[in-house]
Amino acid sequence: MTLSLVLQAIFAGVTNGIVYAFVGMGLSAIFKGSRVINAMQGEFAVIGAMTTVLLLTKSGWPYPAAIAGGVLAGALVGAFIEVAFVRYMAKKNASEDSFLLLTIGLALTLSASILFFIGRDGHLLPPIGGEGVLLVLDAVIQFHALWLIAIGIGATLLLRAFCHRTTVGLSMMAASIDADGAATTGINVGRMRTYTFILGGLLGALGGILVTPLISVDYTLGLNLTLKGFAAAVLGGLTNPLGAAVGGITLGLVESLAIIGISSSYKDVVAFSVLIIIMILMPNGILGRAGRRGG
Amino acid sequence: MQSRLLWIAVALVIWAALPFFVPRNIADLLVFTGIYTIAGLGIGLLLGHCGIVNLAQATFYGLGAYASAYCTVMMGLPSIVGFVAGAAISMALAYVIGRPILRLTGYFLALGTLALSAIASALFFEWDWLTGGTLGIGGIPKLNLFGFVLDRPSRYYFFVWIVAFACMAAAHNLVDSRSGLMLRAMRDSSTAAAALSVDLQSLRTRVFVVCALFGSLAGSLFAHHASFVSTQSFGVDRSISFLLIPVIGGATSIPGIVVGALFVTFLPEFLSKLGDIHQILFGLALVAVVVLLPDGLMGAFGRLRTRLAARQGNHAR
Amino acid sequence: MSLSSIARLTGAAALVGLSAMAAQAQTSGEPIKIGAIVSATGAGAGLGIPERNGLLLAEKDINAKGGVKGRPIKIIIEDDASNPDTALSKANDLIFGQKVVALLGPSLTASTVAVGGVTHPNKIPQIAFTGIGPAVERERKCVAHVLPPQRLNAQALLEYAKSIKATKVGVLHDAGYGNVVMAELRPLADKYGVKLVAVEKFEIGATDTTTQAAKVKAAQPEAVFIIATSATPFRNVKQIQIAQPVIAAIGSSSYEYVNAMGPAADNIAIPEFVVGEDPLPHQKAFVDLYKQTYNSTPKNYEAAAWDAAHIIATALTKAGADATGEKLCEAMKAPYTGVLANYNFSADDMTGIPISSFVFSKIVGGKYTRTPFRVAQ
Repeated sequence: MTLSLVLQAIFAGVTNGIVYAFVGMGLSAIFKGSRVINAMQGEFAVIGAMTTVLLLTKSGWPYPAAIAGGVLAGALVGAFIEVAFVRYMAKKNASEDSFLLLTIGLALTLSASILFFIGRDGHLLPPIGGEGVLLVLDAVIQFHALWLIAIGIGATLLLRAFCHRTTVGLSMMAASIDADGAATTGINVGRMRTYTFILGGLLGALGGILVTPLISVDYTLGLNLTLKGFAAAVLGGLTNPLGAAVGGITLGLVESLAIIGISSSYKDVVAFSVLIIIMILMPNGILGRAGRRGG
Repeated sequence: MQSRLLWIAVALVIWAALPFFVPRNIADLLVFTGIYTIAGLGIGLLLGHCGIVNLAQATFYGLGAYASAYCTVMMGLPSIVGFVAGAAISMALAYVIGRPILRLTGYFLALGTLALSAIASALFFEWDWLTGGTLGIGGIPKLNLFGFVLDRPSRYYFFVWIVAFACMAAAHNLVDSRSGLMLRAMRDSSTAAAALSVDLQSLRTRVFVVCALFGSLAGSLFAHHASFVSTQSFGVDRSISFLLIPVIGGATSIPGIVVGALFVTFLPEFLSKLGDIHQILFGLALVAVVVLLPDGLMGAFGRLRTRLAARQGNHAR
Repeated sequence: MSLSSIARLTGAAALVGLSAMAAQAQTSGEPIKIGAIVSATGAGAGLGIPERNGLLLAEKDINAKGGVKGRPIKIIIEDDASNPDTALSKANDLIFGQKVVALLGPSLTASTVAVGGVTHPNKIPQIAFTGIGPAVERERKCVAHVLPPQRLNAQALLEYAKSIKATKVGVLHDAGYGNVVMAELRPLADKYGVKLVAVEKFEIGATDTTTQAAKVKAAQPEAVFIIATSATPFRNVKQIQIAQPVIAAIGSSSYEYVNAMGPAADNIAIPEFVVGEDPLPHQKAFVDLYKQTYNSTPKNYEAAAWDAAHIIATALTKAGADATGEKLCEAMKAPYTGVLANYNFSADDMTGIPISSFVFSKIVGGKYTRTPFRVAQ
């Protein structure tokens, strides 16, 4: 095992980790604001990426406008799901499991719809910053991956600032921590939940668009992203988007180090075993009690 | 009471006559319904009585199927050995893994079981000397009951459903027993149950082991029906579709599991007549059930009956 | 269709070819029902949809040329949603409900073996769109395969490696299809004097295989085999700047994958069968008809399904339009020159495709181009 191989594994781990982090952050933002585990978070990524691809290639929009369109599509689908389904179910005091099942059903529907209406092809987007790469000790990282990491960190900090500094963000947090209490202070709890879904859809779509230059996007991608994103979110303590970011990178690193340290055959076995052990030993996530208090 | 017995008798007659009147592919789907009912029962027990979301059932289903395939095809042993070996391995695994994992709660537990399913699925691929990997193991013999070969769906139907009824009876007894009472106490308020010195851990583990047993039985039955097993049948997606069974039917009701199993086997079949759009429609149907019928089809049926009874009561007055 | 290409066709296939030049033939009487199961939805849709296109085209073609002794054929196509359980139920419906005389498909190995459990004991001829699978399939003498066994795919990779004089080879493969080919590749490599310097695996649906690719790169191979059904490893290999030639197994030979590979696809070599842009003479008629009908270029799976339908039609013509079961099976067992390959279903592997049927293509500017390299018999 050479130094450059380890470095390459770390590069790959961090790049993948950021992908998981984006999905995980959206998941935990939605969970924080609505107590719903969104099993279609990966589908938001696919919607965002597919919309951008279609706007770029079929409608000939400029790249930045197509990205904006993709993010908007994710946000709109998020809002639609809250207004059309979650709101009604919340009114009926539906159980946690039924929300999980709702989003599983939506994930199946969306994935099948993409196959049916758009087709089975995988699509790519052009990388930000060109096809170039950075060489460190013979290990390669793409410029796009560096952008991805930078935007990922930026998004995490922005999300944190949004939750702690803006009125809307604070109201969303209040509504999620104590719905009744928030309602008495004049916060529209239902609307806050809609905002939460918009935020989740937006983050998911943005993540999907940003990874499409690295991973080609097709109708089957959603479930895989959701599983990894869910793992990232839980590692981070589930209620803390910042934790999800840390969780995602941890997961990415564990995976790629397992490949060089143990065997590529057992990558998933190692990654998921570590996940179970962390959950049992650190029930509040890897950020511990800080994670519980919120991001 | 008498009318209830009458209903049961009518249901039994229909059940016994069914395979003789339906086409073979429907009989085949009814066999799958029976198999899924058994697998779903375990998940229903965990979900309905312990509030545990189990996303690992495909693991135990796979263990049962591989045990049957390996024992009969690779070792040439009688089928019963496969059933027993699968059940023993599944229960032992559920016990060993259940103790640590069941300390988790809520979504963490759901993810724990999901991770278990992902690990098992990766190992099924990896240990191809045991499982045949992607190619799988074929040529699993049909079951032979005292010289009577269960080689077509209409025959296997009876065997599968008798096992399913036995499992339902066992589940019913478990739910009705003192442990069942404790289970529900635990689901509704674990602190209160703990205060009554109920040993939560061991109780939950026990139900998890029963769930694994059902999963393994269903897997063995599947192996002898399809006569072929491969990794494709035991992935995370299968765990998810098993979870749908009790949720659609109604997790607390045993007939609800049958309804849920009918839903996941027959609805795709009917929808597939409509062309490639069928998967979208299945997803939408699932969403509709979850949104409109929060306590499952059986719960909705129950509410309808109470409402009808109330209306009749009004008329009588 | 040139005269020389007609000369290449044998038996009834030539009849079908000749009558193409005649006016539209009339068919009459009750249609002969043939069942087909493909994965039109779910993870296997990349196989099932092209196969369905091939089947529909073949049905039209066969009927336009007079069907089977004047009787039209009807192919009833069902979707197994990439699920072997569903495939089993569909097979029961087609065989016992619709009373089809033969079954084409399914698309995936698991479904094929499961369906074989019904067709074999009931003596229904089946032509699967897969290579032969587990040991039990060798006993099923009436389940033919129109795609090569994985051993042959492994051999084709090694033949190409030999042709470019690569003796140290690294392999990246997935845990499903790739694992099966890999199991055949290991013992064969020695015979070809090829040393496998690194073999790395990744899970199906992996979104990144960079680390595995880096391990392959570190072993300094002279060529890299990629055996997968995804674009991801191809992209990763180029991303970490592996400059050595990349040879892909047939599983990733379709435009979905090539498009998803983007610029990384350039110069990848693929042993396969049908290069729609530059077909072999005997493939041209099929390719032209396909392009005319669907406005896209066919590849291997379209051709495999087309062949399967024609093989069954040929067997029916030979055995009589009313033939079923074993009689039909026996009629199927003659050598057959198809669009995809030359088959011989009396061979041990139930396909009989020779390695000489492979053509080798390279991706240039996102398009398949046929290379002159062929393996002599």
